[in-house]
Amino acid sequence: MVNSISKSQPRSNLPGDFAIWIFIFAELLVFGIFFVAYAFARSYDVELFNASQSTLTREFGAINTIVLITSSYFVVRAVTAIKNDNSKICVNWLGAALFMGSIFLVIKMIEFYGKFSEGINMSTNTFYMFYLSLTFFHFMHVILGMVILTAILLKARQGGYSAKDHTGVETGASYWHMVDLVWIILFPLIYIIR
Amino acid sequence: MQYSSQAVAKPYFITAIALFAFQILFGLIIGLQYMLGDFLFPILPFGIAKIIHINLLIILILFGFMGASYYIVIEEAEQELHNPKLAIILFWIFLITSILSLLSYLFISYATLAKITGNYLQPTMGREFMEQPTIIKLSFVMVLGAFLYNIGMTIQKGRKTTINTILFTGLIGLTLLFLLTFYNSKNLVLDKFVWWWFVHLSFEALWLLIMVPLLAFVLLKLTNINREGIEKWLYLIIALVLLSGVISIGHHYFWIGAPEYWQWWGTIFSLIEPIPLLMITLFAFKILNSSRHQHPNKAARFWVLGTAVMAFLGAGVLGFLQSPAPLNYYTHGTQITVAHSHLAFYGTYVMIVLTMISYAMPLLQGRAANSKRSQKWEIWSFWLMNISMILMTLFIGAVGILQVYLQRFSETPLPFMMVQEKLIVFNWLREFTGVILLIGFVTYIISFFVAAKDMESIQKNS
Amino acid sequence: MSQIRPCTYVWLILILLTFFAFVVGKLELGGITIIATILLSTLIKGQMVADYFMGLHRVRWKWKIIMYSWLLLVIGLIGFAYSLGLK
Repeated sequence: MVNSISKSQPRSNLPGDFAIWIFIFAELLVFGIFFVAYAFARSYDVELFNASQSTLTREFGAINTIVLITSSYFVVRAVTAIKNDNSKICVNWLGAALFMGSIFLVIKMIEFYGKFSEGINMSTNTFYMFYLSLTFFHFMHVILGMVILTAILLKARQGGYSAKDHTGVETGASYWHMVDLVWIILFPLIYIIR
Repeated sequence: MQYSSQAVAKPYFITAIALFAFQILFGLIIGLQYMLGDFLFPILPFGIAKIIHINLLIILILFGFMGASYYIVIEEAEQELHNPKLAIILFWIFLITSILSLLSYLFISYATLAKITGNYLQPTMGREFMEQPTIIKLSFVMVLGAFLYNIGMTIQKGRKTTINTILFTGLIGLTLLFLLTFYNSKNLVLDKFVWWWFVHLSFEALWLLIMVPLLAFVLLKLTNINREGIEKWLYLIIALVLLSGVISIGHHYFWIGAPEYWQWWGTIFSLIEPIPLLMITLFAFKILNSSRHQHPNKAARFWVLGTAVMAFLGAGVLGFLQSPAPLNYYTHGTQITVAHSHLAFYGTYVMIVLTMISYAMPLLQGRAANSKRSQKWEIWSFWLMNISMILMTLFIGAVGILQVYLQRFSETPLPFMMVQEKLIVFNWLREFTGVILLIGFVTYIISFFVAAKDMESIQKNS
Repeated sequence: MSQIRPCTYVWLILILLTFFAFVVGKLELGGITIIATILLSTLIKGQMVADYFMGLHRVRWKWKIIMYSWLLLVIGLIGFAYSLGLK
């Protein structure tokens, strides 16, 4: 572990295109505000939030967390692969990451379907307003992240990246990790903390 | 000026300046009517003067946008205008219909105007920004459509650039959104929704797609830097403008009959709205600082930076301050909104037009820049107008804060008219800043005459 | 290459911490100690994703600061809001 960390040169710039980081920081800002708003709204009506939280299927939340973390891990491997100039392995890891992303979407849709068929919507109560807004907003980000990863996968398959030029892969990877990072906070906040 | 057809921009610019003069005059009249309620009554009641003040603003910006678009699109496409004659014909049609509509507000009672223009057939009148009779609205759409055709053909024939692409997208957006003014539901909630789509999506999203390329164009010309470096930033900025602009429409849904969750959505998503505006400011400073190129037009440099800063202050910061729902609960529909809209419209749209004029007008008259003496006048006018607008905004803001406190927030709220009496001092101060603005504007006009005179003497000497 | 990569360890730790949070949630545990632990584990997870997945551990401090302060601020405020709702 120590070995490979010391091997990497300290560098000044953020991985990937700087422009994506403007997006990432803007997105983190919005999600952050949303999270804090949830936390404070909860403190005004703890009982309602606890009662509504009990109706969620925590297994879905936990499995999705593991799915996203794993997907993020696959993307890390994809970046390593392209740094070793191995386009083919990079493509495979990206494909695996995308597969995990679609599992996330399917599980999330099952969860949404369950809630909607119970007649729950944004106006049911403040908890569900936050639960649906936050998870839906995040859901859209997963889709966007998958679109970006797909574009990178297609380019990588045509040999569009190399050890020298792989900024594109790092750019998409950074965005995908952001999607993961946000979910890592969202999961305990909405499914666990009571 | 490299292309002779760029000259079509000139009448558009001159008209924009003339309309600005009238807008300031009507602003002064309205300002006075806050203190002297029956000033000019019954010839020009407050309501009518306000319609004219606002319509002048919109028309002046449209003239500015069109003139600027002709100028930029031709130069960017490296191609003469598809049909210069059409541009001049459109200018006259637009000018005549605009003046007709403005005069009709002045001389015919609004009810009569609605009746004789057949508003009962397809009611579209009577809403802020949409007061024009239906037939005038139709003529605007026709002018915009033909204008888009002319511009589009030029772009299509010539060199493709990021600036032209973004600008054209913005102009299409402007035209399409204007079509919403023809919709008028009997359902008041629905009507409010559509009205806000028009207002918000125009001013807070798609018009910025026109403003940003205009700014970028002037920045490029003033610094002569390599354009490849800035294209990515332009796309990034407009992507953020569109994302934050569209999603933040929620801050208009708070009290118009939309479900409660919009209060959360509107509040949270509005918080990112200043980010693209801040980026525009940083972008402008970065570009100007990255180049040693000394463009002779110093005044344009002031305008371009001024626009970036004032847009951020007026549209970004002041809008941001009142978009959270718990604050907006107290501030909506008060003078706080008025303060925000004054600096936002002036700082973002009027100033980009003035920037464009400052850069392009000397070139349209065959010189790279005006004489030093003329630029000195122009820079003076820059400071006078900007400082007076900032002070005006602060005083309107003070009026607004007092109004909110006395009328809405206080434990013992006062009735509207009693509150108005207590605001008189600040309203006088606000009127005073309007006078400074007028002085600044006169200074601005003088700079043109100084420029013309200096040019004449140079020509005589040679 | 038979050596296990550091990012694999990170992945494993993230999974374990997620499992821990899930068990706490399943038992519907609450209270300041439990939640503080959960928040701390979330902070660690966030920091690990930022440092090792996003690769911020190799980046200049001014960028790291943004990410770290975001994590600290958001998680700290969540904790603060939780303590407000305890009573």
